[in-house]
Amino acid sequence: MKLPATSSSKAPVKFRMPTADNLVPIRLDIETEGQRYKDAFTWNPSDPDSEVVVFAKRTVRDLKLPPQFITQIAQSIQTQLTEFRSYEGQDMYTAEKIVPIKLDLRVNHTLIKDHFLWDLNNYESDPEEFARTFCNDMGIEDPEVGPAVAFAIREQLYEIAIQSVASAREIKISKKGRRGAEHAISSKGGGNALDLMKLFRYNSSVVRKRKEWYVYEPIVDILSNEEVDALEAREDRNTR
Amino acid sequence: MEMPQYDPNTKPEFELYTIPSHSSWFRWDDIHETERTALKEFFDGSSISRTPKIYKEYRDFMINKYREEPSRRLTFTQVRKSLVGDVSLLHKVFRFLDEWGLINFGAVSRGDDSDNRDSSLGDTELKNQVKIEEGAPNGVRVVALPNSLKPISVPNSGADGSGNGKVAVAGETGVKLPPLASYSDVFGDLVKLKGFKCGSCGEQCNSGCYEYSKQGSFVICEKCFKNGNYGEDKSKDDFRFSDLGGNSLTHGATWTEAETLLLLESVMRHGDNWELVAQNVPTKSKLDCISKLIELPFGEFMMGSAHEMNSCPTGSLNSLKEGQSASSENQNDVKMEDQVHDQMNESKQNGDAATEEPPAKRKRIAPLSDGGSTLIKQVAHISTMVGPHVTAAAAEAAVAALCNESSCPREIFDGDEDYLANGLSSPTMVSDPERALQVDASKMEENQSETQDASSEKNDVPLNLRIRTATATALGAAAANAKLLADQEDREIEHLVAIIIETQMKKLHSKINYFDDLELIMEKEYNEMMQLKECLVEERIDVLERALKTGVSKWRS
Repeated sequence: MKLPATSSSKAPVKFRMPTADNLVPIRLDIETEGQRYKDAFTWNPSDPDSEVVVFAKRTVRDLKLPPQFITQIAQSIQTQLTEFRSYEGQDMYTAEKIVPIKLDLRVNHTLIKDHFLWDLNNYESDPEEFARTFCNDMGIEDPEVGPAVAFAIREQLYEIAIQSVASAREIKISKKGRRGAEHAISSKGGGNALDLMKLFRYNSSVVRKRKEWYVYEPIVDILSNEEVDALEAREDRNTR
Repeated sequence: MEMPQYDPNTKPEFELYTIPSHSSWFRWDDIHETERTALKEFFDGSSISRTPKIYKEYRDFMINKYREEPSRRLTFTQVRKSLVGDVSLLHKVFRFLDEWGLINFGAVSRGDDSDNRDSSLGDTELKNQVKIEEGAPNGVRVVALPNSLKPISVPNSGADGSGNGKVAVAGETGVKLPPLASYSDVFGDLVKLKGFKCGSCGEQCNSGCYEYSKQGSFVICEKCFKNGNYGEDKSKDDFRFSDLGGNSLTHGATWTEAETLLLLESVMRHGDNWELVAQNVPTKSKLDCISKLIELPFGEFMMGSAHEMNSCPTGSLNSLKEGQSASSENQNDVKMEDQVHDQMNESKQNGDAATEEPPAKRKRIAPLSDGGSTLIKQVAHISTMVGPHVTAAAAEAAVAALCNESSCPREIFDGDEDYLANGLSSPTMVSDPERALQVDASKMEENQSETQDASSEKNDVPLNLRIRTATATALGAAAANAKLLADQEDREIEHLVAIIIETQMKKLHSKINYFDDLELIMEKEYNEMMQLKECLVEERIDVLERALKTGVSKWRS
């Protein structure tokens, strides 16, 4: 079977989030004066930076936090944004890559474990839509779960995108030439991405074997209060 | 599609699956053009992971999976665990099949699909149901005669019998309007909301109460039950638990009209301070308030305008439609007045923000009934379109109708009927700014003094009543206006038809004249021809005579 021309090598693309909307995942974990503020949300990097301070002020007011938080929140957001922007000018190689995404998060009383595949090349992909379908299908009523799921997906995509930028830089530095570059891409990405050749071969089926279904099945658990407390305590211990 | 084998002796081996007729292109063995165009990614050879064979596998698997249990709605999550591939792409295939009815066609659809949640008063409708609206919109009935209750379906026949459109609905007090379809027993709601009072500690039983089974009327709240205050002579076993949590008190999900209005009012007043807003709306938590506000079509605007409310009262209002800009200034003037006025204003502002149609022209009215919009929005929209006199008359009639329904509002209204009529007519002046500015400016001044005096007593007119009055007014006014316009249209049509007929007649007349003239000309020509003929005959005879005279012997004829 003739290989399609664009399957392995692609022209480098400017760095951006490989999703339909170019939103940056921002995670905040600030502790001052015995109060801890943890949050995770998406930010539009094309918003003016003045918005950061406005947002910080608003958050502090809504959640009734002490005012020291304003500067800390603003700083943290700003740092993460600058980091994102530092990648922005660079190229990343986006060879055909289907990566596995693993979800393992707890939102209030809901525990979610999931495992599925995501195409990094699909710039029209929408984590929010996936999250919405997920919540609808699993009948999750807590409105905070959807955004958390979308955020987790985004974060992982972001990390993978950063990796591909790093690998693109390496390839440029290395002098192996074009053919070598292709090898490098497939081998670099191989750790994470699936070997497309093996999976989508002509004589293999895309339907998984039944015994593998449980691996890719989502697990949603509703926890009781005690379990939530126990988990939180454990998480705190881990992060300190 | 496999057809069932009609053999009464053996069970049918094949099963019949229904798919909509517009999907009849589907074949198991083949991939149709529709699929190729809708899911191009599989067919453009761009990737090894997207080929027609792979597409066919995905498709067949999903359809077969659904058909294992046709009545059960297949969810995307159930299939994606079994298929290798990008989940976004799989979702696309899934959605494609769903839209074309190849899967989930016979399945029960979700009633609480969050995408389609109707924001009006917590109604949820099934996605697949088609709403058909026939005839007059809900709550508006066109009656044949002022006092008859018989509704007529088409305004044509009734147009003449109703006399002047204005009088049909309103006019003298004492006209009985049929109960509006949106009528709800608001006082019943209020009574129910009170809930149960605990027999021993006297507090409200909110989430659950324990009912004394021997004597039905004694209830105690959960706290008392736990503490052991059962009341005299009663023991623990005699109590039965009944959960009120979801029943009589409104749950987080359902919002009644009254609560929505309360919410809007408090947001206007307190803006961003959700604590105060949640306090004002007694049965809803902060979260509920915020989410409800966002759901309302103009909720975002409310939150924005609430900010500016404090700083610049007319600022946000002025940015609305041009036709209403003058009215916002008026609103400022009359802002001092009674609550009813505020209600109308507020709902009108919200209605203005929501509707993006241009200001209604005189002759043709934008569709009034929109099943998807909230009642308040409709009321607001309608109220902006009618003239003041019509609305005043309709308001009086509405008040009278309300009085006739139950005695409670009568007591409230009777004492202050004049006041209300004035109070209600002032917002109507606002709704027609041009006239208001000139004609009714003087009236306004004297109203203001009146209303200032009476405003103190007005604070206890219950909110619900005012809402209903406003609603009834607006709807009645709309009906009256519609009638007027219908009559006008009729007359115009007649007039135009007469003109057409006249023109045709004239045309025919001139044609006839033309033909008459032609005939005359033809006759004359004919006469001339005859004369010519005679001349010729004479000449011929002459020639013959002369020929005979000169003795021409042989005559060649």
